[in-house]
Amino acid sequence: MSLVPPLAVFDGENLGHGDHVVLSEVHLTFHPGERIALLGASGAGKSTLLSALRQRLGKQAAWCPQHHGLVPELAVYHNIYMGRLEQHSGLANLWNLLRPLAAPWQDIATLCQLLGLEGLMKRPVGQLSGGQRQRVAIGRALYQQRSVFLGDEPVASVDPHQAVELLQVIHERHQGCVIALHQHRLALTHFDRVWGLDKGRVVLDAPSTELSLDTLDALYPSAGAATKTTMDIEQTAPWPQDSLPCPRGQA
Amino acid sequence: MAATPISELALQDHPPRLLAGKSPGMRLARHTLTLIALALLVLPFADLHVLSRAPWGELGRIAQGLVLPHFGSVESPLSAIGLTVAVALWGTLAGMIMGFPLALVFSRSRFVRAGCAFVRAIHELFWALLFLQVFGLSALTALAALAIPYAGIFAKVYAEILEQTPTAARDALPEGTGRLSRFVYTELPLAFAQLAAYTRYRFECALRSSVLLGFVGLPTLGYQLESAFREGRYFEAGAVMWLFYLLIASLPWWAHRRLVPLLALSSLFLLGPWPDIDASLVWRFVSQDIWPQPLLAGDINGLIDWLREIPELLPVIANTLLLGLLGSVGALLVALTLWPLASHHFGNRLTQVAGKGLLIFLRSTPELMLAFVFLLLLGPSLLPAWLALALHNGALIAFLVARHADNLKLDMVGLPASGKLGYQLLPRVYPGMLALLYYRAEVILRESAILGMLGIATLGYVIDDYFQTLMFDVAFLLLLITAGLNILVDAGARRLRPKGIQPS
Amino acid sequence: MRLAFAPLSLLLLAGLFSPSILADTFRFTAIPDEDESRLVERFSKVADYLEEKLGVEVEYVPVKSYGAAVTAFRNDQVQLAWFGGLSGVQARRLVPDSQAIAQGAEDAAFKTYFIAHESTGLDASNTLPDDIQGMTFTFGAKTSTSGRLMPDYYLRERFSEAPEKIFSRVGFSGDHSRTLALVEAGTYDIGALNYAVWDAAMQDGLVDTSKVHVIWETPTYPDYQWTLRGDADEHYGDGFSEQVRQALLDMDDPELLESFPRSGFIPADNPMYAPIEDVAESLGLLR
Repeated sequence: MSLVPPLAVFDGENLGHGDHVVLSEVHLTFHPGERIALLGASGAGKSTLLSALRQRLGKQAAWCPQHHGLVPELAVYHNIYMGRLEQHSGLANLWNLLRPLAAPWQDIATLCQLLGLEGLMKRPVGQLSGGQRQRVAIGRALYQQRSVFLGDEPVASVDPHQAVELLQVIHERHQGCVIALHQHRLALTHFDRVWGLDKGRVVLDAPSTELSLDTLDALYPSAGAATKTTMDIEQTAPWPQDSLPCPRGQA
Repeated sequence: MAATPISELALQDHPPRLLAGKSPGMRLARHTLTLIALALLVLPFADLHVLSRAPWGELGRIAQGLVLPHFGSVESPLSAIGLTVAVALWGTLAGMIMGFPLALVFSRSRFVRAGCAFVRAIHELFWALLFLQVFGLSALTALAALAIPYAGIFAKVYAEILEQTPTAARDALPEGTGRLSRFVYTELPLAFAQLAAYTRYRFECALRSSVLLGFVGLPTLGYQLESAFREGRYFEAGAVMWLFYLLIASLPWWAHRRLVPLLALSSLFLLGPWPDIDASLVWRFVSQDIWPQPLLAGDINGLIDWLREIPELLPVIANTLLLGLLGSVGALLVALTLWPLASHHFGNRLTQVAGKGLLIFLRSTPELMLAFVFLLLLGPSLLPAWLALALHNGALIAFLVARHADNLKLDMVGLPASGKLGYQLLPRVYPGMLALLYYRAEVILRESAILGMLGIATLGYVIDDYFQTLMFDVAFLLLLITAGLNILVDAGARRLRPKGIQPS
Repeated sequence: MRLAFAPLSLLLLAGLFSPSILADTFRFTAIPDEDESRLVERFSKVADYLEEKLGVEVEYVPVKSYGAAVTAFRNDQVQLAWFGGLSGVQARRLVPDSQAIAQGAEDAAFKTYFIAHESTGLDASNTLPDDIQGMTFTFGAKTSTSGRLMPDYYLRERFSEAPEKIFSRVGFSGDHSRTLALVEAGTYDIGALNYAVWDAAMQDGLVDTSKVHVIWETPTYPDYQWTLRGDADEHYGDGFSEQVRQALLDMDDPELLESFPRSGFIPADNPMYAPIEDVAESLGLLR
């Protein structure tokens, strides 16, 4: 398709953590400049594929994890700043907690404006709405200024209109992306290619122009209702148990 | 389902035998009954005589003292309260400052873990007795006695809290982020609320310990409390007790988070007196006093004679362990009985307030204090110590369990109390209750040893003996034995604890 | 940040650890054999008296036990102490050249009373009755001379056995008043206590004589005394020891003497306490 060497190639590999295989026999190629939508039901292996990509791409990829991975106690500014934590010394980072550094503050202020977070920079993330947190997580990834964007459901908790806006911002600032999402329509309108996973296998790898909404809906029938995330899957404990408020033996 | 053979269906229909079955509830029930059976089995070996012929008159006088306290008879109450708070606050802060860095390396260093287990295993009062020998009756003795064991406790608990912080934020950081940056941006802020809550709880413990330091002569509230109780001036003892309860009850107001820095700075001036640190005294104590003379002289035969002069330790060790076991099981039974009293799921407004009051009263009163009063009433058998341990620790656990239960919403309304307790609440709170008890066992054993200082035949009794007769070498050996015993029992408790009930 | 004040306070704390005590203050400690209420207030008056007589700053240091008093004396945290017989011997062994300089008028011929609960059916006699064997018994504090050392000695002398073998149970009440209360309540059958405490309680009508009475009194022995460190002259000037002794002997204000409680102080010296030392050594309380 292109003469430029691909960014990542999976050639019949098994992916998973440790000995546990989640995705088997993966044949996929990620070319520079491609915008790829990753579809699949919860537990199909999207996160596994994304973290494998993150590992391969290293410093080329910006990363926006599932459920945001934010620190609720810290301000919006600090959460976004964390995207470039490795570029400053430990001492500078420490000082930045006490008093924001001037240059990053400027950069992040601009970014916040772009993301509709203006005026919220000093507010702890724990006090934001779900949609606002989503934007902070995206902001942190954008602040990394990498060439490729990897996102695990980065537009799951915003309405369709906002999702389009955010995807546009992401596209503008990166030369390619792989984004897991549930919205079939968006996959067709805003991406070049669609990868589909089901029960631990790659079942779809096609340009979005060759696909129709009906094909996707047939593949993932429940997707209409699937904007719900996997967050509320219950942890399986040996028996139902509610944690005690201040446990630890009060030793 | 249709394919299931009839015989198998019949098997399933057959109700399980009494206490049989693999369900978690049954497993815990069997575990609990085994514990209780074990306690009953060793009960005949415990000396539980009531030695007093007329405990009721004494009890009446104590009650009268509590009801009609004579505040005027307390000598300089304000400075005693001030010192109690200052020692507790600075002891906790110093413990925190030492314990926090240790927590960061806790999981990686066996040496740090062992060191922390050791300093934790020795009770604050024993540490105080040690430091008294070099720093005298000074603020330094009091602070060190609190800060050193607390450093060990903080290191362990902080490490546990940090270990259990969610990792999502850390995983989202760009690769190559330094250890310090990772810690201050993700781990610390995520764990901060829990760290602060635990530190706060420890401060409340420190207040109790600070009072107890009065028992060995530091002029905190306990100083007068001890002599007033011992000499039967119950109206004065009652007044000091009330001052202490007021101090604990008003904690949320005067120890508000925003007031802590101010409180810390101002209480610095209440600490005192500061000793002249005489390096030669410290050195003499560390290099000579605590080691057997024959050992220092390299005299092996002399060392054997030295060991021979130590009276038989087995009975006191056995008593300490016995009291630890009985105290733990007693605490479990007390907790099981008392928690519903303080839960809003049971009774009416009046019984709940009364129940909560009773629990706060029992958990705020230090074990040593309770044991001291029971000892006055019942005489120095294991009985008063057992009662004190069971009531104090049981109330503490009951208090936490009731608070936990109050946070639960019941799905079914209109159940009778027995149904609510048996089917809705107990199954949900019991695993946590048992886990708390196993954590608490370490503390109960530590207390069992220290109660000996009151004249009950546990390890503390002999340790106190040797401190009184200034034979620090033997006292030090006994402290090492006590610590070793505590570490062993703690390890055992961790192994015996039913799996999967770690509360967090 | 909230965390920021922690290192700051550490610095402040370190600053306070530098020596802060005036080297020239003369300190003493005392534990009365009864009634420890308002200790500081009562003994501060004694401190004021000594200050006036000696011309140096004098401070009273309260302690809780004889052991703590001896430690404070050994560590030079107090220079003068009102010790019991045994604790004085312990202290003088640990601090060479320290001297017993005065004792209470009552202390030259001190004695211990053995008391019994009425249920024992024991009467006062000239020797310890055989019947006490198998009963329960309580001493006072572990290192008290009149509450532990001497009764222990006379019990062994009478029965040629350790108290643990003579009695079915042996306890330590902690102090003399407590011993009295415990025997009166019947918690223990027999107790041994300082005769002065008993006499004072009798005088104040605090003893229920239908419940408890004296069954035997020990021969006399020397007890409480003032002990002064040997380096006092060096620190406070020549003749200081003599001044201290004189000030103690001259103390005649009943209010001050009431704190100890003694009717007055008389001269004493180290050799007077040799019998106590021998007994303590034979019982393994000294080495």
